[in-house]
Amino acid sequence: MAKKVLVVDDANFMRMIVRDTLVPNGFEIAGEAVNGNEAVTKYAALRPDLVTMDITMRDKDGLAAAREILNRFPEARIVMVTALGQEKMLMDCISIGVRDFVVKPFTPERILSAVKKALV
Amino acid sequence: MPTMQINAKHVNPFIEAAMRVVKEVVGIEVRRGHLSYKPKVEPSLQVSIIIGIYGFLTGQVVYSLDGRLAEKIVDKLLEGRSPVEKKIMFLDSLGEIANMITGNATSLLNHRKGEALSITTPAIATGSNLSIHLVPKPALVLGLITQYGPIEISIAMEEKETLTEVEGIVGELAEV
Repeated sequence: MAKKVLVVDDANFMRMIVRDTLVPNGFEIAGEAVNGNEAVTKYAALRPDLVTMDITMRDKDGLAAAREILNRFPEARIVMVTALGQEKMLMDCISIGVRDFVVKPFTPERILSAVKKALV
Repeated sequence: MPTMQINAKHVNPFIEAAMRVVKEVVGIEVRRGHLSYKPKVEPSLQVSIIIGIYGFLTGQVVYSLDGRLAEKIVDKLLEGRSPVEKKIMFLDSLGEIANMITGNATSLLNHRKGEALSITTPAIATGSNLSIHLVPKPALVLGLITQYGPIEISIAMEEKETLTEVEGIVGELAEV
């Protein structure tokens, strides 16, 4: 059965890139969210196998959303996909239980490898 | 009034990040152009993308490019997509490129392991008669040249310590 992914990014363009990389490789897009609040609500409703999460978003950023999802659903598998590749950001994400950290711009291989590894 | 100190070392990460992101993501060759100074940040070309930076460095970065280059970038990014999709994602995809450049530049700028620099989501303005209210701070303006037109990156940033020091000195002088 195809693994279901929730794609979270405020940019339509980036959601399209992630979608276009994952779908031809056998993943199903469970849903999309444009900010952290929507991500938390959609995670609870859809219970996807994995979330790809941007960090810089209005309303609630991706780090706060990931923290909230992982507090409520410790089994959640989240891969951050962000332009902010600073060491502190990476450490913050790892410390809350995020599975991987992909820095934009990324190659299709990089995001596929992160998603597959996170699902093992 | 404290005056802002512009530091040229803040510019190199933007040059490096912009050249890398535009080449890798858009597939357009970029050459380095002029470096100049403006007494305040202002959008200079038809499409402007504004991103705020905050943390131990604080300020704004404005990316300005002309309409033809903006269209070319979107065409390349959304190759094979319908004109309707290109129209819908026009601003969105340009904003994302600016986001990637700024995000990558902050990684290069941040030499402090214990602190992170954050950025705001991009605000985008288009049109030849732009009227945007930006923080009135001096900026270093970096020109980049592509075969489809120029990109101007205006960087107005200051280190928190510098600002605090200057404000402290001004405060001390006021007390004398």
